[in-house]
Amino acid sequence: MAAQLKRGESTAIESIYDRYGRLAFGLAFRILNERGAAEDVVQDAFVSVWRNAAGFDARRGSLRNWLLSIVRNRAIDRLRGSARVRSEVDLADADPRAEVPDVWEAIALDLERKQIQEGFRDLPDPQRRTLELAYFGGYTHVEIASRMQVPLGTVKSRMRIGLEKMRTFLTARGVMA
Amino acid sequence: MTAMNCAEAEELLGAYALEALTEEETRLLEEHLRTCAEHRAAAADLRRTSALLPLTVEEGDPSPDLRARILEAVKSAPVQPVEAARSALEPRDTTVVPIRRVPRLSTWARRSSRLAVAAAAALAVGVAGLIGYQLGHSSPAQVAYTFQGDPTAAPGAEARLVYFKDRKQTVVAASGLPRLASGQVYEMWLIKNGVPVDKGVSSSASGDVGVQLSGDLSQFQQFAITIEPGEQQLPTSTPILVGNLKS
Repeated sequence: MAAQLKRGESTAIESIYDRYGRLAFGLAFRILNERGAAEDVVQDAFVSVWRNAAGFDARRGSLRNWLLSIVRNRAIDRLRGSARVRSEVDLADADPRAEVPDVWEAIALDLERKQIQEGFRDLPDPQRRTLELAYFGGYTHVEIASRMQVPLGTVKSRMRIGLEKMRTFLTARGVMA
Repeated sequence: MTAMNCAEAEELLGAYALEALTEEETRLLEEHLRTCAEHRAAAADLRRTSALLPLTVEEGDPSPDLRARILEAVKSAPVQPVEAARSALEPRDTTVVPIRRVPRLSTWARRSSRLAVAAAAALAVGVAGLIGYQLGHSSPAQVAYTFQGDPTAAPGAEARLVYFKDRKQTVVAASGLPRLASGQVYEMWLIKNGVPVDKGVSSSASGDVGVQLSGDLSQFQQFAITIEPGEQQLPTSTPILVGNLKS
């Protein structure tokens, strides 16, 4: 799929859409909670993937994670109406994901998703809510402290501990190294 | 603000992984990470965890016409030349944090060695002889599967599996696989909880492969074939064919 994309074959976009379109839309909708806006973001993200396909390097991360990072960034920018400076496709966000050479993504995706959902669901409410506000809400730790009316130190530790718990959960299940 | 010390950095790692820091905090933390290997490793672990958060969402159903709109937009969108696209893809210097490589495969390597699963002996049998099997349906004693090759990597390829429950043996007949280059082999895998287990290789020159796998197939969730530079303990390339095993 990635090779096809790099060769500039537009059928690659169809394949990618058929495989990840619903996930991309689910992510955009989760952030924006508005179908039209979510679809616009998904469309923009796919066009961006297409335009920048030649520079895609599978060694840096999977196509899926690249696409999802673009969707997330665009949706957050739109939500926050922010002028956050990002290049057309800023892999800074996706870069850490490049540490996971996701060569088996198609196989592992279903199993992986179930376990990730479970690990997230099992977090104590305050930790899960904190991660949600940051990742899907685009709020800074200071903004979250204010919204949740807790000290900043509490937000910082909820973020750290929440992520650590998920990591422990997923490591035990072989989803993460 | 002056340079960040270790204790201050430690506190911010979770927020950093979630991109919940201000620009100034991010800059100072990254400055610290460049010189602190311990926090760099911790930041990488947390980032790899936060990177999985998009997968917690439920898939959604966009309008049926979104697909067509995207294809239309793509057709009229100019494709950036490689160099421009590559530079657009490069992270900006200010945000690059050197991070330890922790490939997912290491999980598999670790688990596989721990499980010490011996690769089943792969006995080549003639493909022609296999076609005679009734592959289209399952019976109480047998389960049959048919999988198609990846449309890009192995268009037109097909693999058929028949699992004989009583003997705990599986016959695999694959055809139309991409031809091998010198030194390459087809490698068969059964995947259990995300861990691929080597099930033997074939170096068929015709693109047709017939092998017999030993073991209880019901313990595995997927079957896959990769092309490898000789038999590997773990896959080093993307599968050219993958299928879900449901009993």
